[in-house]
Amino acid sequence: MSGFRHTLIGRLARDPLAVMAIVIIAALVVMAVFADLIAPYDYTAMHMTDRFAPPSAEFWLGTDNLGRDTFSRLLQGGRIALTVGLTAVVISGLIGLVLGMIAGFGPRWLDNALLFFFDTLRAYPTIILALALAALMPRGLTTVIVVVVITSFAEYGRVVRTQTLSLKHSEFILAERAMGASFGRIVFHHILPNVLGPFFILAAMNLPVVITIEAGMSFLGVGVPPGTPSWGSTLKDGFDHIRQTPWLILSGGLPLILVTLGFTFLGEALRDQLDPRLRSGR
Amino acid sequence: MPKTAIHRAFPVLNRRQVLAGAAGFSAAAMLPIKAWAQEGRLNIRVYTEPDDFDPVDASGFGEGLLYGAIYRNLIQYEPGDDWSYRLDLAESIEQTSDTTIEFTLKEGQMWSDGYGEITAEDVAFTFERILDPEMNSRILPDVGTLSRVEVTGRYSGVFHFDEAFAPFWWIALPYLAGTIVCKAAIEEAGGRIITEVPPTVSGPYRVRELRPGERWVLERNEDYTGDIPAEYERLDIVYIGDEAAAEIALEAGDLDFTEVSPGSVARLQGNPPAGTAMSMHPSLFYVWVGMNMEHPKFQDIRVRQALQYAINVNAIIEAAWYGVAEPSTGIIAPGLIGNRPESLIPPQGDPQRAAELLAEAGVENLEVTLNVLNDVTFTTAAQVMQATMAQAGIQLNIEVHESGSFWTLGVEADGDRWRDLEMIMNRFSMLPDPSYATAWFVTEQIGDWNWERFSDEEFDRLHREAGTETDAARRDEMYRRAQDIMEESGAYRFITHGVTPNLFYDSTVPGTRPDGLPLAQYFRRA
Repeated sequence: MSGFRHTLIGRLARDPLAVMAIVIIAALVVMAVFADLIAPYDYTAMHMTDRFAPPSAEFWLGTDNLGRDTFSRLLQGGRIALTVGLTAVVISGLIGLVLGMIAGFGPRWLDNALLFFFDTLRAYPTIILALALAALMPRGLTTVIVVVVITSFAEYGRVVRTQTLSLKHSEFILAERAMGASFGRIVFHHILPNVLGPFFILAAMNLPVVITIEAGMSFLGVGVPPGTPSWGSTLKDGFDHIRQTPWLILSGGLPLILVTLGFTFLGEALRDQLDPRLRSGR
Repeated sequence: MPKTAIHRAFPVLNRRQVLAGAAGFSAAAMLPIKAWAQEGRLNIRVYTEPDDFDPVDASGFGEGLLYGAIYRNLIQYEPGDDWSYRLDLAESIEQTSDTTIEFTLKEGQMWSDGYGEITAEDVAFTFERILDPEMNSRILPDVGTLSRVEVTGRYSGVFHFDEAFAPFWWIALPYLAGTIVCKAAIEEAGGRIITEVPPTVSGPYRVRELRPGERWVLERNEDYTGDIPAEYERLDIVYIGDEAAAEIALEAGDLDFTEVSPGSVARLQGNPPAGTAMSMHPSLFYVWVGMNMEHPKFQDIRVRQALQYAINVNAIIEAAWYGVAEPSTGIIAPGLIGNRPESLIPPQGDPQRAAELLAEAGVENLEVTLNVLNDVTFTTAAQVMQATMAQAGIQLNIEVHESGSFWTLGVEADGDRWRDLEMIMNRFSMLPDPSYATAWFVTEQIGDWNWERFSDEEFDRLHREAGTETDAARRDEMYRRAQDIMEESGAYRFITHGVTPNLFYDSTVPGTRPDGLPLAQYFRRA
């Protein structure tokens, strides 16, 4: 039992912030995965006589301008948010991980070239770059994911490269080299496990950013097509009809706030547990 | 203890800072919203951005609003509830035969910036450059059968037509084509105005600044010699495509006048924002869904007809126009010559018939893309179409475009996108003569405004002959038949003419056409 207390999960279980984060994230994941079972209505069904209905026993979060049940649409929106968020974070994380390690371990000229590439991409304001890319591609979920990947992998690359460079010159790696360890052993047994900590923290912190980019693109009309129940589209509907009902904008904003808080708290908790300097400071 | 997200999100404020902040917010919220018009400045919203100073390149109402403020015509639309016109540059103008109109200019009417007096040479130059094939003017259809303009004196001239063309009085003289330009300035500019600010103007306002995508800033033209002097020191034509955003801008005091969305009518009539008034006008606009007849998916007429039947116009109007508009029967609004009493396909459509037509055509799992403007009314209408067409087994994808992108979709000169264009939900502005509606669907307009690439010899002939027909009953019959042909082609599903609800501060007396569109030069302080 005392062994469990010292594992990462055990330590997270004792951190109230981490517990709150995990409860929020778990609730969102369950609602997104089982959306079809939980939703009281088909998210496309229009009830024209109940347009802009306030929250009630019949429509828990009210209805939108076409009389569609907002709660059912938010559940579907969660599915879109998690699909975009997880897919984009995994793809951009992997690209960033590979390129970052190549930059950290590669020759100086390659490091400089990749660094220049990362910094160039990061220099563009994310939403402006996203809008420019979206304008060049057909509209849809795949485009949103591609745009998010392009706008975010450089950050992973930058962090992983810095970690790799720092580890490359550490004493234990030099010792490994002196003992004749292979390149693969150094990378996969020593560098990678030490890079993964900061990498996961960044991924957790990035997930809500990615979801917000998707919502922002949909809000601006360059994300998913109209009718698709993304949280950003719900916010846009709320903005368009804010004079008719305040509930839409509240309903569209609430899950974004929750998901941002959830993943940010998780990232914070992970950082507190994985960063040895912070742990020793406790 | 390390700082958490909560600590960073909520920096420590003391009680005094919180109270001071709250007091500041409360005081700000109590300040009255300021209408700019009270301070000698007027902000009018336009739904489509004017993008050319040169009338020969004009493309729509955005330019119409701008030109009314900075240029002059021989005659101008009179603001009010009935369509009429008043003399502007013309001292007199009269139809002297079926094929001639004689005019005499007022003397002493000046161009700004030292370009001298406005003469009959300028009038002739204006129309002849529209007629010049090398200018490739998009408003050529407006001048119909005009063949030339004869200058008979410094202030007088004669319009000569190949055949009678009655619409000239309503669609050319007081609007885009009739906007008189300065011959000397344009020749000096090399034949076309391409500068950011026109070298000379003649209207009550002049251009101070152009902010693309945002606004055109106009100021009083001190050289103006007409009889409708500028009321305001500064007049901004503000481009806001989305009606909901425009409503918010007006309620925030950033606009003095805007058209609002049909969905807001009930709320604004019941509870208008402080200091505002609302007016409702019958609209001449026509909204329709078109199909590109040359696209491989739409070459079989049964597929086009299936789509016509799959669209429930009543449901669209109820959802997107909140029931304040009526289904249209064509492109010509009620009250005008040529308005049809009913369409060939009932407004509620027939999903069953649509499915049968698709089966006859051997088409299964039809998937089509509808292009719409990024506007809440159109995107709502598109979503209703998506739902009702699904009942006929048709999957409708919706592609939303910003104004700049949308208005070039079917234009051959602007790229190759017209080749992939499938369906479009479109809205054209209209003037009080039916020929202004049919003009955009003739064969010569393919690749310009005729995005359906619809071509029919009988339609072309009817448009041509109705323009020269002087018997009203005969004209009426011809335009009705022309719309029958459009609908029979399967390429068009007519939706509505809509309504024009305007919201404005009561510090302003708007000058509007009978269809509710603003005439900027006529706005006055209350």
